[in-house]
Amino acid sequence: MSPFTVVLIVPTGVGAAIGGYAGDALPVAKAIAKICDRLITHPNVLNGAQLYWPLDNTFYVEGYGLDRFAAQEWGLRPVRQNRVGLLLDRGIEPELRLRHLQAADATRATLGLNLTDYVVSDAPLEVELRASDSGASWGTIGNPGSLLRAADKLINQGGAEAIAVVARFPDDLDSLALQNYRHGEGVDHLAGAEAIISHLIVRNFQIPAAHAPALMPLPVDSEVSPRAAAEELGYTFLPCVLVGLSRAPQFMTNFQSRDHNHNSIWAESVDAVIVPYSACGGSAIMSFSNSSAQIIAVEANSTQMQVPPEPLGIKVTKVKNYLEALGVLVAHRAGIDFRVLNPSLSSLRCLS
Amino acid sequence: MTTHFITAEIDLQETPTELQEQIQNQLQEHGQPLRWAVTKIDQEKQKATIEAVVTKES
Repeated sequence: MSPFTVVLIVPTGVGAAIGGYAGDALPVAKAIAKICDRLITHPNVLNGAQLYWPLDNTFYVEGYGLDRFAAQEWGLRPVRQNRVGLLLDRGIEPELRLRHLQAADATRATLGLNLTDYVVSDAPLEVELRASDSGASWGTIGNPGSLLRAADKLINQGGAEAIAVVARFPDDLDSLALQNYRHGEGVDHLAGAEAIISHLIVRNFQIPAAHAPALMPLPVDSEVSPRAAAEELGYTFLPCVLVGLSRAPQFMTNFQSRDHNHNSIWAESVDAVIVPYSACGGSAIMSFSNSSAQIIAVEANSTQMQVPPEPLGIKVTKVKNYLEALGVLVAHRAGIDFRVLNPSLSSLRCLS
Repeated sequence: MTTHFITAEIDLQETPTELQEQIQNQLQEHGQPLRWAVTKIDQEKQKATIEAVVTKES
């Protein structure tokens, strides 16, 4: 029997009540990982700044790669360890840059990660943040060419197999959005731009990538929410990214090569996908809706989006919360129709 | 290369697969789609709002 494989998606930058802050969907991922053979999820779920929890059966897949995987265009090849290349934005001040280099060195010395020499982009990346009418956070990059040249150097000169980017983000200390975020409300106003940076690298080089923003430390605030508190612990959000990338699966972009790699994972082997009920408008969910995977939509994980599955024609199993989702997964894995676990059960009807 | 944020409105389709194709086609008119999502649905008008970032070669 094939390994029971689950995909967990909490879209980035849409104000998800669970997973919209500082790695606060990680407990959900840990629980799901316990009851499946393979969990595929993305940096927004697993990154908690200086907090992280590597799980042997969990695959860290950046969003662009996850979309290609769901569309059955790319496969995933598990690895023991990637050599991670660190790409620093020229716009980062010298002291802040040093903090990030020391964090990277710490992951080598303390965790045994394998990093290449680093690269500084040839121009400031000039990240611009944007909040859309829907309430989602987005962003653009002023110098994407500089980003891609630096990544190319890391790969072709440094031998990097995965890319960790640290871009200087606007501090925006007085903004209401930042205050709300720290207090566990509203949208992560950085997340949309972060996704654009990692998407650019994955699309161009087809290797794992993820991003950590460089920001000046914030003044202490007694009202910080537990959900956002992981980002209050130090000078950098980089450790979780390096840990995630160090074991992120490589992308297989040639469908034919699957026959030569029996450990590779393809979308057709996914048994279930879990997503917030109000945020079903992403590419991956639309692709999975065309597969045999059971899509479980979680009502309690509210978001700023109002895109339920039904108007899009996506068939889902709707559940109240992640506890219920775990129950549906356990029943699915056991080969039990979860509906018979309810007290009321109607008789079979004759098809007309 | 440059990156651009765009919004677009599109008719809802019979299936998610058809909708995805329509979204890709419409975004291609603005550049190479990098990241997109349906962010709003108007069921009365049967329209979906798409937000996206596309890239263009300069």
